[in-house]
Parts: sequence; C-alpha cells; structure tokens
Amino acid sequence: MNGWRALPVAAIATLALGLTATLAALQGDPPFGDVQIGAWRSWPRLGDSDIDPYARAIVAVDGILPLGAGEGVAFMAKTDDSGAALDARCDYRLSGGAPSARFWTLSAYDVDGRLRPNPANRYGLTSAALLRDSDGGFAIEAAREARPGNWLPLGDRSRFILVLRAYQLTSSAVAGAFEGLALPAIVRGACS
Amino acid sequence: MSPRLSPLDRAIGAIPWLLAALLGAIALHLLAVLALPALSPNGAFRKLALHLPAGEKDLLARATTGADGPTFSDPFAALAVCRFDLSQGPLRLRAAADGDHPVSISVRLTDGTIVYSANDRQTPHGRFNVLVVTQAQADAQDAAQDNPDQAGAGAADDELRLVSPRPRGFVVFRALALREGDYDAAAATRDGFQCSVEKPAP
Repeated sequence: MNGWRALPVAAIATLALGLTATLAALQGDPPFGDVQIGAWRSWPRLGDSDIDPYARAIVAVDGILPLGAGEGVAFMAKTDDSGAALDARCDYRLSGGAPSARFWTLSAYDVDGRLRPNPANRYGLTSAALLRDSDGGFAIEAAREARPGNWLPLGDRSRFILVLRAYQLTSSAVAGAFEGLALPAIVRGACS
Repeated sequence: MSPRLSPLDRAIGAIPWLLAALLGAIALHLLAVLALPALSPNGAFRKLALHLPAGEKDLLARATTGADGPTFSDPFAALAVCRFDLSQGPLRLRAAADGDHPVSISVRLTDGTIVYSANDRQTPHGRFNVLVVTQAQADAQDAAQDNPDQAGAGAADDELRLVSPRPRGFVVFRALALREGDYDAAAATRDGFQCSVEKPAP
C-alpha cells in the first residue's frame, strides 16, 4: 500500500471488522459462565455484579431483565434431553427433579422471548399449583392440545423455548454452582 | 516521479496498515461492547426507568403475548420499578411481604448491573428498609452520627444501607403470584412498594 492513500481503506476495514466482531459476539447466548443441568442452561452471574461485559451487552440488546442472585435463578431449555430442538408440533413430558427452591414457575416462549399465544390464555405453571402424586412427584405435559393434569400450552408456532425460574433457592443449591440441583427431564413424545 | 514498487515491497508496506486496522477493530469492538448496555434502546433502564422521575415508582403491566416489557418475563411476577439519581439525595426503599407471596428487591445500575438483590426470607420479618446512598453520602451520615449535636439521628435497627458504586440506576420490586388467578393478590403486595428521595445529611 502506498503511503497515506491507504488510510481510507484501513479505516473502512477497522469499522467493518470491529462492527462485525461486535455483532457476532452479541448473537445468541452469553459465551461465558453457563451452568448446564440436563437440557437446562443458566448463567448465574447475570444476577450479580460479577457479570462479564459480553453478557451485560447481550442482556441489554435482548431486552432481558435478569433475576438478581438474591431473587432466584432462571434456567432455559432450547432442546429436549436428547438434544433435539423443542418443536411445538411435538408433545413433551417434564418430570423428575425439581429445584430446591421456595417456589418455581415454568413458561414457554417464542424464540424472541415473548409468551406464546394459545387458546387457553395460560402462560405457565407454578410449583404451588401442580397436581402431584402421593410421593410429591409430578409430570407436566407440554403440548398444543389440552391435556389432563399439569398442562403447559405451547401454542401453534413451531420453535419454542422453556424457561424455569427457581425463586429463593436454598443455600445448598446456590453453593457450588448448583451442585446436586435437580431439574425436570424433558422427554419428547408424539409429533404430528 | 516515485519509483515503481515490487509486489513484495507493496506487501511489506501494507503490514503496518493491516496491524493498525486490526488494533482499531479490536478497540472499536471493546468500546461497543462496553457502551451498548447503557445505550441500547432495549436495555432495561432505558425501556423501563429512563423517563421516570427519580423516587417515583411505576407499576409494570403483566407479561402477556403482546406485552412490550422485558423479554422472557415471568407471567406470574408483578413488577414495579423506581429510578434513582443519588445526586438528588439518598433513595429510601420500603416494602413488606404478606407472608404468602414471595417478594424481592433488586438494585440495578443504568447498564443493568445488579448491585444488590434480596428476598423477603433474608430480611427481618419480611420487611425491606433499604437506604441507597453514594459513598460521600454514607460518609456524611457517619460524620453526622459521630457529632453529639446530631444525637438521635441514627438509622433504624432494620435499615440496610447500600452504597451504590454509581449514582444512577433503578430498582425492581417483584411479588410473585402462586398460581393462575392469584396475580391480583400479588399485584396488591407489589402496590405497597415505596421508594422516595430523602434529604441528604447536612
């Protein structure tokens, strides 16, 4: 390149590279500090002052209001336990472990983070309202069509995301990056 | 008339420009990542609190399919927000749990960083009495309490004083409905949340 005639080219390259790298870094989930339990993922540092700059930027761009560490923790599932993307054309059964928390809620969202329209106008379930068996166990049926028992309506749009929020985790669950914390398994049933 | 450069000379001459472009791109990327949380129109502070007067609460609508609030909002959470600007004075937060609905408070900076959060099981009798101050205001309070002329001006026993690392931000109060049909009761607890600007210590 010949002297200062290269300056505009270098400036354009700087802008293009810098903005492309920024857009790429802010796509998708926060790159650091995640905890995975089965199909569920969480980013506990979103809730305290140790949040990293990339996660902070992603939260701002995506318009999320994360839970504070003293409030609880949100877990997100984009796949079932086999790793297949969640799809409302299929039924899902959630059962097994429940977080050691005072209270938890479960909702289904579109990929843009909005609650999914459904004919029942029901947008989630709570641990306090679940029908349980004599041992305290439960099973949640996530499906488009109504199901007896604990039904989580999925609406009609194909791809969806499940979010489970555990409020006021017990101290043992908070310590050690959720060591031993149980969450429901997500098992796909029939697809239409 | 400049001498004609060989391809190798041209390549070597481009190296400083390539390095400069790379370093500039890294700097631009880092600046953008650091600046975005405060500048993004989707950021929680800009979306929920920017236009609120300091010390006044706003009750957020329940999350539904069409809601324009934060993404991935919990439909069982009744939320209130309050903006603070400690240059106008310390912020007093008061709230009380009703014993049924889980309640929590979080104090956030303009870039979304959460500097404090607690729930009703972590506070005496499920009551919150939080005073958010700057370090200078905390020092002034301490000096006033050491002054014998200011006797009786001490903090209440249940007061938690929180020194905010920056003077501006917002507070989120959250009350949770235990089941479908319980939202109005949770919202009533949420409605009791108070935030107000206090006079700075003299």
